[in-house]
Amino acid sequence: MLDPLATDSAPPITRLVEAFHRLPGIGPKSAQRLAYHVLRAPAAEAHALADALVAVKEQIVLCAHCQNVAEQNPCRICQDTGRDRTVVCVVEEPLDVVAIERTHGFRGLFHVLHGVISPSDNVGPEDIKIAELLARLRDVDTEVTEVIVATNPNLEGEATAMYISRLLRPLGIRVTRLASGLPAGADLEYADNLTLGRALEFRQEVR
Amino acid sequence: MTLLTPARGKVDAVAKGVLRPRSKLAGHLEPGTQVEVMLAQGRTLDVITQAQTVATYAGIRGDLDRLGTAMYLVEVTDRLTVDHTEPAAFELLAAALERLERGDGAHLLTRTFEMDLLGETGFRPQWDVCIACGRTVEGEEVAWTPSGGGVVCSACRPRYPEAEGLAGTTLKVLRAIQRGPYDQAARIRLNPVLAAALERVMHDLVRSVAERDLGSQRFIEAVRRTASAPPESSDVASCP
Ligand SMILES: [Zn+2]
Ligand SMILES: [Zn+2]
Repeated sequence: MLDPLATDSAPPITRLVEAFHRLPGIGPKSAQRLAYHVLRAPAAEAHALADALVAVKEQIVLCAHCQNVAEQNPCRICQDTGRDRTVVCVVEEPLDVVAIERTHGFRGLFHVLHGVISPSDNVGPEDIKIAELLARLRDVDTEVTEVIVATNPNLEGEATAMYISRLLRPLGIRVTRLASGLPAGADLEYADNLTLGRALEFRQEVR
Repeated sequence: MTLLTPARGKVDAVAKGVLRPRSKLAGHLEPGTQVEVMLAQGRTLDVITQAQTVATYAGIRGDLDRLGTAMYLVEVTDRLTVDHTEPAAFELLAAALERLERGDGAHLLTRTFEMDLLGETGFRPQWDVCIACGRTVEGEEVAWTPSGGGVVCSACRPRYPEAEGLAGTTLKVLRAIQRGPYDQAARIRLNPVLAAALERVMHDLVRSVAERDLGSQRFIEAVRRTASAPPESSDVASCP
């Protein structure tokens, strides 16, 4: 259990355990193990960890074009003049950009939604970066002719894809979806390069 | 994940490793599908050991409006039922999804589902007699209260300051939906005003029992806005 009283006044080791425990996937036992590992580690290692934590909050920004996390705005991909500016691949999370980049099969631009429409969790279209996508595509200077919606192949991902497709239809932009082949209910992040590359290559029009 | 079963109502169970692409279970355990499962009793939760898809509802999945309705049906079921009770909820949800899949109008099938599920879970709305004194309620415009779960007569109305007006036609249709059978109620012609009035009444009831707003209702409304959005400005080429 998280102790709400574990504030600045609590012993440093308790504070560290609590801080680790708040991270996703870290239970109380693991949090303790990590905290004691840091305690025993050389001071330099602890400082490096602390620096990295601070740097990630202070030096990482959201790219104003694609909404991806980046070290500069616009990000490296949006700035790259070698990329195909007519195609935008829409993904749920920054990690999905990493997964698709790993396939080396996509040369277009990205748009990161930072989530997916999930009504049962009370996440609606206005809670993710759909308005930003729309604004980007409505820009008079846009060269985009195709949007590939690469949300995960599950219920929420499909709902998000169809919703985006309906919004973009009046703009005359072709909307495609990754080809099936990714197993239903699976997560893009876990897909292997070959499967993901094929899914991209054989993408299909969204009705 | 949560399973809705015909024998034991709502059951929480775990399926190990379903997020991995190679998981044999994953393809069969999509939200909103009907599956046949084998459950092993675990220490705290049941464990899904086998799963086989029975109905995927492809027609719903490929249609944004129907998908929104289906998500609402599932969310209402989840909010109104308690674990290990109301096995009838399974039949009601399966019937509603089947109707949605075959293309029935979303309004009446959803209103029927809400009405029946409220009945099964002990919140049967009272449309015929006053919830306070039991007198028959009739008229062009009557009063009703979502928290009280039905209509109130003019004599009792002062004791229900939160009561709102309900048009006579709306009340008639609510009674017809509650009386059933569905096939008969489904023949009622709804104009947009009546459909909206029925929706508002049933949502108020569901919200009052669930004690919270439903995210899927927000989604349905967002989807509706896309359908009624004005056409894009003239700089976009349009087909004649
Ligand atoms: Zn960018
Ligand atoms: Zn009365």
